[in-house]
Amino acid sequence: MGFLDQFWQLTIDGLMVGSLYAVIALGYTLVYGVLQLINFAHSEVFMLGSFGGLFAARALLPDDGSVPGGLASVGLVAIGLGAGAICGGLAAFTLERVAYRPLRRRSAPRLAYLISAIGASLFAVNLAGKEFGRQNVDLPDLFHNGTVFTVFGADVSTQSLVIFAVAVAMLIGLDRLVAGTRLGQGIRAVAQDADTAVLMGVNVERIIIITFVVGGLLAGAGGFLYAMTFNASYSMGFVPGVKAFTAAVLGGIGNVRGAMLGGLLLGLVESYGGYLFQASYKDVIAFLVLVAILMIRPSGLLGERLGRAA
Amino acid sequence: MRRRPLLGAIALAAAVTLTAAACGSDSGGGSSGDGKKTITIGFQGVLSGDNQQLGLNALYGVRTAIAEVNADTSSPFQLKLVESDDGGSPDQGPTAAQKLIDDSKVVAVVGPMFSGATKASEPAYTQAGLLSVSPSATNPALTTLGFKTFYRVIAPDTVQGKAAADYVASVLQAKKVYSLDDKSEYGTGLSGALEPELKAKGVAVTHDGINPTKDYTSEATKIIAAAPDVLYYSGYYAELALLSKALKDKGFTGKIASGDGSLDPQYVAQAGAAAAEGTYLTCPCGDANTDPKAAAFVASFKKVNKGAKPGTYSGEAYDATLALADVFKKLGKDASRESVASAFGSVNFQGITKTVAFESTGEVKGSNVFVYQVKNGAITVLGNTADLIKS
Repeated sequence: MGFLDQFWQLTIDGLMVGSLYAVIALGYTLVYGVLQLINFAHSEVFMLGSFGGLFAARALLPDDGSVPGGLASVGLVAIGLGAGAICGGLAAFTLERVAYRPLRRRSAPRLAYLISAIGASLFAVNLAGKEFGRQNVDLPDLFHNGTVFTVFGADVSTQSLVIFAVAVAMLIGLDRLVAGTRLGQGIRAVAQDADTAVLMGVNVERIIIITFVVGGLLAGAGGFLYAMTFNASYSMGFVPGVKAFTAAVLGGIGNVRGAMLGGLLLGLVESYGGYLFQASYKDVIAFLVLVAILMIRPSGLLGERLGRAA
Repeated sequence: MRRRPLLGAIALAAAVTLTAAACGSDSGGGSSGDGKKTITIGFQGVLSGDNQQLGLNALYGVRTAIAEVNADTSSPFQLKLVESDDGGSPDQGPTAAQKLIDDSKVVAVVGPMFSGATKASEPAYTQAGLLSVSPSATNPALTTLGFKTFYRVIAPDTVQGKAAADYVASVLQAKKVYSLDDKSEYGTGLSGALEPELKAKGVAVTHDGINPTKDYTSEATKIIAAAPDVLYYSGYYAELALLSKALKDKGFTGKIASGDGSLDPQYVAQAGAAAAEGTYLTCPCGDANTDPKAAAFVASFKKVNKGAKPGTYSGEAYDATLALADVFKKLGKDASRESVASAFGSVNFQGITKTVAFESTGEVKGSNVFVYQVKNGAITVLGNTADLIKS
């Protein structure tokens, strides 16, 4: 069958994956906005959150392997999301404390942060491999997965609907947080000019910690959503991490709405590309698009700064 | 602060000395406590990464064989094992092989396991004149590449692919088959053997390849759009599990089939019982757990490996190790790399999976292909393809 017959199905798949990229991309973009630092250990925050949510949900699932329904399903998904977010937040908090703050205190050069991030990332991956095993771990169905409705002949499954809805809710929530609250004002102030923000009475250290934790909460919850479709494993962080980073750059790194747009766009491009060409070309196409867009707009689709754009 | 580098250097020097001392005391003796000669063999396989379980299956088989030989008071020698992990990848294969080659006490190797890693590692083994017996590398071309010291105790994919195609066409009555491989040495070899035989049987075949990934959603959309009766995946279980999950989520109604690389309980564990249910798996390997002739092996395997049950390739690795021991016994005192490599070709050993005897190419003589199916969340053997097609 041709591409056009499958167009809507591919769009739905793409939006689902893209919304996950967007959720993870926010972590990169927030930290970059505030510190001008690419937090390469963010993919491991995502991985740890994913395991946290997965184990919480598995612990509460009935032993007989039956699929729960109704309120039990809603509860399980909520608990999984919550546990994932908490683990992600804790991981991000620890990461900031252990890997970044000591460097910042000593005004270390940029390169030191990068090495520290890579070190923390390797540590987390191998620790997870040791603790959780090096096999993929399955998250059993938390609800009956069926077709909820069809759009132009394309099936929208319960699962993609749940993932997309939760992801979009988180995106909107974050956007409101940054644009409309006092805390968001602080984040934007630090992003614009940290020195001036200090003079204006903003507690920069506190803002930095909160930024890391917010990114971690999102990545952890996103990790749980990811595990619902793709299983969890100790090495799961790398590829989505790179993709999310790409999405952040695509939209304009440091820009919250840019990360959302970049994530969704990347998901769509991958989905179409994987169908039109061989599936293995998916990543090639995604990165070609990135290069092409950066050639025309070097600072990404929506431009760079968190302070100005949000 | 300034003294730190010096302290570090001292600590490092101390550590090096200690390590050297520890190694030195270890390498002292070539004979064990009760005066028996010790013969060291190597194991190269996939002991880390997504498909680690297959490597453990084989390693446990080797350990079982070694424990049996060492417990046998009539055996004139003791066996010792050195393990080397190649992660199942062609990149790490040569390094893993070199580790065993550099250990001058290793006289023979069980492994490598995956076809890609085997292809990358064998030139080194051939050059070193070190015998390697693979329990599991099934790519057809491996025995045609001039690897002088390479043998395998499992039938190549040409045999499996042909038998699988016959089964899919005759028993599953497929008219349309989607053949998907993982683009690995193993996957392309298997799909390359499967497809011509399917076409010869008048089945319409769509070929596609996808490198291992986590996200199979768009591939699943593509497969469902093609609406095949059977999807045959030539690849390993970690990926088949994700693919099966994606297909189930999208409501695929055809049958899923795959080869020996996916024949592992981990497939069911990772896909979830519901997504794996009904999947057909072919393998040129029998199921030791249900074969009455292998009952003693299963019992001894469980004893040695803390209750673990034999899995795919466990029996083959066990047979390969015992066939090596058989050769050592005949060679007596002069079991060296050279003598073992030249004597192994003429071995004739009755193993639990088959009679281990080789063609001049290093290919094992005669082999059966079995079909398995996931039923109620467990992989159960349906039988030998030849018998299933007849009935």
